[in-house]
Amino acid sequence: MTVRMGFVIITSRCIDCDACMVACRSENDVPLGHTRNWVKSSGVQGQFPRVSEMFQPGNCMHCDNPPCVSVCPTGASQKRSDGIVIVEDKKCIGCKYCLTACPYDARFSNSETGKADKCTLCLHRLEQGLEPACVQTCLGKSRQAGDLNDPSSVVSRLIAQYPTRILLKEVGTGPNIYYIDEAVPDIPDGK
Amino acid sequence: MSKVYTWDQLFSRRQFIKGSVAAGVLGTAAGIGLFRPESNLGQGKSDQAAVKGTKLVTTICEQCVWRCGVIARVEDGVVKMLEGNPDHPNNLGKLCPRGNAGIETLYSPDRIKFPLIRAGARGSGLWRRASWDEALSYTAEQMKKIKDKYGAKAMMFNSTDNLSQPFFEILLKAYGTPNYGTQRSLCFNSMTTGFLYTYGTPQPGTDFSKCKYMIFTGRNLAEGISNSETQEMIEMVARGVKVVVLDPRFSKTASKATEWLPVRPGTDSAFFLAMINVIIKEKLYNEAFVNQYTQGFEDLVTEVKDYTPEWAEKKCEIPATAIRRIALDFAEAAPAAIAHPNWRTSNFVNSFQTERAIAVLNALMGNWAQPGGLIPDQELSTLKLGVLSHPAFPIAQGIRLDGVPWQYPMVPLAYGVIQTMRDNILTGKPYEAKGWLISRQNPVLSIPERQKTINALMKLDFVAVIDIQASDTAYYADVILPESYYLERFDGLIPIKNKIFIRQPVVEPLYDTKSSLMIYKELADKLGLGEFLPFKDEKDLLSQQLKPFAVDLEELQRVGHYEMEDFQEDHSKDFEFQTSSGKIEISSGIMAQMGKKAVPTWNEPPRPEKDQYYLLTGKTAQHTQMFTQNNRWLLEVFPENRAWLHTSVAAKIGVKMNDNVVLESEVGKVSVKAYVTEGIRPDCIFMVGGFGHVSKGLKAAYGLGASDSALHKTITDPISGGSALSETFVTVSKA
Amino acid sequence: MELTWGLMIVIYLFTAGLSAGAMITSNLAFLYGGQEFERVSRWGAYLSPFPISLGLGLLVLDLGSPFNFYQLFLTLELSSPMSYGSWIILFFTLLSFGYLYLWLPQAYQKVGQTLQLERWKKRLAMLMPFLSIAVASYTGLLLNAAVRPIWDAPLLPILFLISALSTGVAAVIMISNLSPWKRARHKELHVLTKADAGLIILECLIILIMIVMGRSSSASESMAFSSLLVGNYVWVFWLLIVGLGLIIPLFMELMELKGKIPVKWVWPVTISSSFLVLFGGFFVRYVITYAGQTNSWF
Ligand code: SF4
Ligand code: SF4
Ligand code: SF4
Repeated sequence: MTVRMGFVIITSRCIDCDACMVACRSENDVPLGHTRNWVKSSGVQGQFPRVSEMFQPGNCMHCDNPPCVSVCPTGASQKRSDGIVIVEDKKCIGCKYCLTACPYDARFSNSETGKADKCTLCLHRLEQGLEPACVQTCLGKSRQAGDLNDPSSVVSRLIAQYPTRILLKEVGTGPNIYYIDEAVPDIPDGK
Repeated sequence: MSKVYTWDQLFSRRQFIKGSVAAGVLGTAAGIGLFRPESNLGQGKSDQAAVKGTKLVTTICEQCVWRCGVIARVEDGVVKMLEGNPDHPNNLGKLCPRGNAGIETLYSPDRIKFPLIRAGARGSGLWRRASWDEALSYTAEQMKKIKDKYGAKAMMFNSTDNLSQPFFEILLKAYGTPNYGTQRSLCFNSMTTGFLYTYGTPQPGTDFSKCKYMIFTGRNLAEGISNSETQEMIEMVARGVKVVVLDPRFSKTASKATEWLPVRPGTDSAFFLAMINVIIKEKLYNEAFVNQYTQGFEDLVTEVKDYTPEWAEKKCEIPATAIRRIALDFAEAAPAAIAHPNWRTSNFVNSFQTERAIAVLNALMGNWAQPGGLIPDQELSTLKLGVLSHPAFPIAQGIRLDGVPWQYPMVPLAYGVIQTMRDNILTGKPYEAKGWLISRQNPVLSIPERQKTINALMKLDFVAVIDIQASDTAYYADVILPESYYLERFDGLIPIKNKIFIRQPVVEPLYDTKSSLMIYKELADKLGLGEFLPFKDEKDLLSQQLKPFAVDLEELQRVGHYEMEDFQEDHSKDFEFQTSSGKIEISSGIMAQMGKKAVPTWNEPPRPEKDQYYLLTGKTAQHTQMFTQNNRWLLEVFPENRAWLHTSVAAKIGVKMNDNVVLESEVGKVSVKAYVTEGIRPDCIFMVGGFGHVSKGLKAAYGLGASDSALHKTITDPISGGSALSETFVTVSKA
Repeated sequence: MELTWGLMIVIYLFTAGLSAGAMITSNLAFLYGGQEFERVSRWGAYLSPFPISLGLGLLVLDLGSPFNFYQLFLTLELSSPMSYGSWIILFFTLLSFGYLYLWLPQAYQKVGQTLQLERWKKRLAMLMPFLSIAVASYTGLLLNAAVRPIWDAPLLPILFLISALSTGVAAVIMISNLSPWKRARHKELHVLTKADAGLIILECLIILIMIVMGRSSSASESMAFSSLLVGNYVWVFWLLIVGLGLIIPLFMELMELKGKIPVKWVWPVTISSSFLVLFGGFFVRYVITYAGQTNSWF
């Protein structure tokens, strides 16, 4: 079976520390003023003293039908056979069309390179057998990455065990970040 | 006459580009010979510039005081990435945002790049470059002059928790001053003294892994990150453990908890006394444990008789039913239950009593040395490093400026009361202080009443600061001795249980800086005190520390840690309490001796007047105290502090999110943006500490947010010496 | 909120439409009007190449890697409107310059023989309307493909096409009226004005349908459209577009057609109404480009 890389993010385990954001900046030389990943807060909901707040980390969803790829006029934005969506800098002209096409605002224009920039799923780390930087550092083990097609991967096991949701399903991009809001006491083993 | 520089000239505004350190830090106009050739700046010394390829170096983080293990990836001599060391128990392979951002501090254009001597009035921001020899000689000369003229006591030494602190302490003892200031009284004095006077140990550990019921009252692990403990907290929450958070503000920890109780500030002890009341009345305490290991139970029974949940509800505004329920559930879970010792609860004068009540509550339930309970002092079962052999210290002459023990007889000597030290510089009582040597501490922003601290600095004859950056205190110094950043230096070794860890240079120093070890050592030499710090260089010192172990420094450097095999944890002393009675003192012998109520009791805290609000301060996960605000990677994720206002308060004064508000206390006034939320009691205003820097040498952080120290009144708990920060009340208005 | 596509792109969308509109105006006037409409045909031909060239220039400047521009023409990505659009625009622009050449006074036509040139003029005039329609509606397809609220409105290409025609006609009216040389004749203007009024009415209808469709669609879509009607863009939409850009010029044109304008006022009214149409056309692009970005899915 083919590889389909993606993430599982367990919101109940995220404390909004933003270690993932700093780690990504460091690993990928993300220039100041932009970020490849984020942690969004629901804001404090409800009325004092009955309030709640939820944190939702995210980054490029490495969509199944990525509009960012289909609109790219030069073929710089590509979906690899392992599902990872990347930008080939050499071909990118910096038209920013893909930025507008991504419904998750996962892309930015890198002012240093003049190219569209986004999460690469830390491809260069995967190639060395390492976890993505954001996953590696996550204090809450909230961020998990792996092969969604491999039933023995952490991500597949989590998806099999817990109810999940995806963002903006109706837009039809087929995002590959699966969110779990329930408490997850144990992170299963797996690649 | 050498050239005089302003801060603006000293630090460029260039953007930091990792791997190619902004060149020409001083600008070419500023002078010749100030810098190494540009090509060397990014790569450190020439031998290192030659290093091609990638290497991994193991070291210990210093973005806060938790000491996480770090593995640094160095590519062609440039630090590219820091990752957590999976072998390190303090972080289990993970780094928090601050740890991840270490590289930005290393390559920050705002680093102090060579020793500086003041070239204008103090605080004018005019400096000249000095050689190390000149700067150290000048510092030593001034220190000698003060000692000769006024005695060693006129010289104060300050430092905060860090790996080389023991050697700073040697230096000050060798110099012979009784005046040593640490951060402790601004931080955790009430917790440590509370537990010390109960269990004989200041800071017991906590077994989160088996704990079934947790109460936090001033430990906000999601925002005050202590890496491994924060991870344990998250796991605990994920397991569905009951976690109760008492906090007037809806912290991120509270958002993860099963129950948030917005307690009225300063009344936590009413909550705990009522829990004790219920537990005694319902006979839920662990009788066997109480009989065997504690003393003073009967006095407690009498004391808490009237502290019913209904009584407490009136004080702390937590419903009596909730208090009763929590008491019953807590007792049910014991001994796998913890009322957490917390951290910075020293926010009211009565916080000592809060901590005592917490300590006693745990004792009543026998939550001691049991799975899921408090863990006896871990220090006892930790490897012991080799020590330097040096002559006996001179006996320090004179009483301490911080009032310990003559004004504060109960404050443990090691903790001190730094805010009183500052006050006594100003009063000149009991004697005049003349000089201050401050190593990596920033009293200007940490001690209440910032203006007073600045005035104190202005009054002194001599101020020297050792730091990696131009802190607000360094801004008012006469000499700045630039310390290498942690990625460029050695520090003292650190044993944790059965392992010894090392901080070591990941790259050679980028600039003309030194490790604090060598600064202390060379300063001692210049003072004629060299024999007290008898080592050649850092490696020599660390080798001496390693002497008792079957490992040499090279091996330790390569592996990053040394693990003692067949090491046995020593639990024989778990139930030997270092108190005067040898038991857990529900009724404190020392308190009784001092003629105070010996069992935990209720002291009514002050309340704000009409139109005043409690001013609360606390932490954010993205910054460390007042140390990291200049780090631009961290500013990306937390750009400035804001004043948390309850929606109703904001509506009353006509303020919307991010509008500016003016906060005013008896001692100061600041303007800061508003954060309007339902997540705070309507009688409180909260702000994260550490912003509002006054040093223009902190280019990125200067002018961001506001400082709580500008508002805080100086109020000290006479028992623990803790600074009662939250007894400051403020008014708020639209800016 | 930071905008990915700013004014440069708005200008590009506007100028591309304008050029296409002017081109069609010229072509049709030439093909169906013959000698009688010689002046407007000529002015359309003279005008057409320039706005789009300016737009293209700005577009390249707006690129993050302008020197990588040629990458566009090393491939044809059929899923990307920008890719095929760039090819279309390339041909359009080149041919529009050719068409302009064919309309130059003989003295300036240094290459080619008059007879042949005349034949080519006709051929081009028959081809260019198709290219023009492609260019004008491509600007709508461009936004369509980036699936965002408002941008994904199915009528957007039609709206942009109609607006392009209307601005093109208005631009030709304006230029041929302003010029001291070869100034358009009354009859020519009358027909053009009639056409323009028709287009404006059509445009109003399309906008109305778009809004109705948008409001009855998903919540995100509906929210986005309300930002035009009552939200952030309420002034731009009602005042600049509906008021100044559509209703007032339409009114003026209708008055003109009915001959209700006193003779000495005709000229200024014609100029102002065509200017207002251009103005409105610009803000149509503006509002859609911006509102599509400041609104997103939720
Ligand atoms: S999240 Fe955005 S950038 Fe990532 S694949 Fe999907 S559409 Fe493309
Ligand atoms: S996978 Fe890598 S590139 Fe993507 S968000 Fe995480 S750290 Fe950034
Ligand atoms: S590192 Fe993990 S816990 Fe921290 S903010 Fe990111 S996802 Fe949340």
